[in-house]
Amino acid sequence: MTALQKFRTAHMLQRAPSEWRLLSLRGQIVEISGAEDSASLTVALGLVREAQLFDEPVAWVTREDQSFYPPDAAEGGVDLDAVAVVRVPGARALARAADHLARSGAFGLLVLDVADAIRVPAPVLSRLRGLAHKHGTAIVFLTLKRPAAPSLGSLVSLRAQTRKRRTGEDAFTCELRIVKDKRRAPGWGHAEVCRGPSGMH
Amino acid sequence: MARLACIDLPAFPLQLLLRREPAWADRPVVVIDEDRPQGRILWSNERARGFAILPGMRYAAGLALASELCAGVVPPREILDGVDAAAQVLRRFTPEVEPAFDDPGVFWANAAGLRPLHASLKLWGWRVRAALHDAGFLSRVVIGFSRFGTYALARSGRSVVVRSPEREEAGIRHVELDRLDLDPKARDALRALGVETVADLLKLPAGGLRARLGEEAYRLHCLARGEHAKPLAPQRVEEPLRREVMLDYSETDLGRLLFLIKRMLQELLAALVERRQALAGLTVELDGTHRETLRPADPTVDLRQVLDLVLLRLDTVELGEGVTEVSVDVEGVEATREQLELFSADRQRDRAAARRAFARLRAEFGDGAVCRAELSEGHLPEATFRWTPLFDLRDPEPRRVLKRVLVRRLLARPLALPHRPRQEDDGWQLRGRDDPAVEEVCGPYVVSGGWWRTERHREYHFLRNAKHDWLWVFFDRRRGRWFLHGRVE
Repeated sequence: MTALQKFRTAHMLQRAPSEWRLLSLRGQIVEISGAEDSASLTVALGLVREAQLFDEPVAWVTREDQSFYPPDAAEGGVDLDAVAVVRVPGARALARAADHLARSGAFGLLVLDVADAIRVPAPVLSRLRGLAHKHGTAIVFLTLKRPAAPSLGSLVSLRAQTRKRRTGEDAFTCELRIVKDKRRAPGWGHAEVCRGPSGMH
Repeated sequence: MARLACIDLPAFPLQLLLRREPAWADRPVVVIDEDRPQGRILWSNERARGFAILPGMRYAAGLALASELCAGVVPPREILDGVDAAAQVLRRFTPEVEPAFDDPGVFWANAAGLRPLHASLKLWGWRVRAALHDAGFLSRVVIGFSRFGTYALARSGRSVVVRSPEREEAGIRHVELDRLDLDPKARDALRALGVETVADLLKLPAGGLRARLGEEAYRLHCLARGEHAKPLAPQRVEEPLRREVMLDYSETDLGRLLFLIKRMLQELLAALVERRQALAGLTVELDGTHRETLRPADPTVDLRQVLDLVLLRLDTVELGEGVTEVSVDVEGVEATREQLELFSADRQRDRAAARRAFARLRAEFGDGAVCRAELSEGHLPEATFRWTPLFDLRDPEPRRVLKRVLVRRLLARPLALPHRPRQEDDGWQLRGRDDPAVEEVCGPYVVSGGWWRTERHREYHFLRNAKHDWLWVFFDRRRGRWFLHGRVE
């Protein structure tokens, strides 16, 4: 046996696998759901800000009768001028709008604010999943539902359930727990401390 | 006449281990392949050999012979770094240095044309050894004419300057095969035949050697005869890739700092790709004092991945009074073809495709369907922004904030709530008898406006119910009822 060893490339540092990062959501259909104590909008806008940091274009699709409150998003660091907001008449139109945007491949993050739980037809989800994978886009559905409720469909590869709790005078802990993860085992999570909007102390 | 030098750092992994653990210098030390009792000893120093602890033994067996035996694993990365360190020292004495990557610790160097600088080749060799010694390495330097000749003489334990090719050839004939790191099977087979030196080996016919003793013995025979001699192939040293920026102001905002680093990384990645390399590591230095070194999981040309690592690391750094100098150094390794293709394809999203998608959306859902939120001065929540048509994307400039704020969902039209008393048996049930009772109230804060048309006077509250649903409501004085304007999500 020779006393010498051949060279290999350097050992690599490994990142913790359970981090909630946009990079790990690319190419997937993700569902962020929440019940009455939901923190889904806050969590989703955190992803928007992260996408902007990496120069990834973002589109947000919402119904005409409701939306995220833009001053709160701006206060959270989001550059509103660079977020394309698509306002459509109803839940069914959301899926059509998502299809146009996903097909372009021009966006790194697509947020579909479904709000009230709806059923997305499997062919639509299948098409969106294929487009997400093809273009490296993270397609994120925001839904209102409890943890025990089923996800939008079997093609949703990651589902996070969010909630918020007051943990201080002006401190609210937003937690998300992964209840479905096709790439890794569910059960991991992420938490972030936020403050309330002005007046919510 | 071309002069070639062989610099041998014997038992290189052992030297690296002792460099790492200087306190072990006076002890028996071995290098093992695995850090466990059954790990095999690869190298042993003189003190260990004094206890009959030899390469090939198990670590546990060595411990039984010497309880104070010290052992360590030397990983490939450390060997690579050690070779780089030694090569850097050698380059101070000659520009052309070739490390033997299949025999770490062995270097060849061009020793031609150095006499004007060093008075003699002997002095040059002495200075090389002294510099390596200062760097923590023991070495032998042989200056001769051929690869094999200088190598064999260095391995025999001498530091010499050979005066002529003939003397070199004469000198190597007495070198023992044991010193040349031959395959043990081939070495043992040759010893059984009474072949112990290079001279003995050269007496054997070359063809028969390959058939009986294998390729390695045959290769050694050819090298000893001077065949298959390759010219010196100096390691190409590329200028380190570095970008520096000096700011006219003190930067305290991490977001802006990251944008600056991102621009520097874009240039550096492009430079790496031109060299057909991928990023294996980078160092970010702030104000020349604070250094952060990062390595991606795999060599990459993906800017987003690299920036993600930088963000994670710098997020824990206190910028204090700010930063005025930023520098980024990157280290590259050979990239695969796929990585290089990914770099060119993945750099940018297609904005034209985005514009086309917007046009299709406007065609299907109306001209106002695609917009952006533009903040405006106003008192009422719905007056603090407006939806402005959007036709094209622009580069985002997000801000860094110390603590993010919870985001409200805004209803385009406030929802009138049923008239219900605040004090009921089951508490204040805002939306009806099935609604959980309100447990916490924040407010009121009064918002008024529009006095020049129809005065609006709203008393906004945040209400938390038993299910931790935070509702954003207001009491409209003029209309005398409660409205739901949104929720905090």
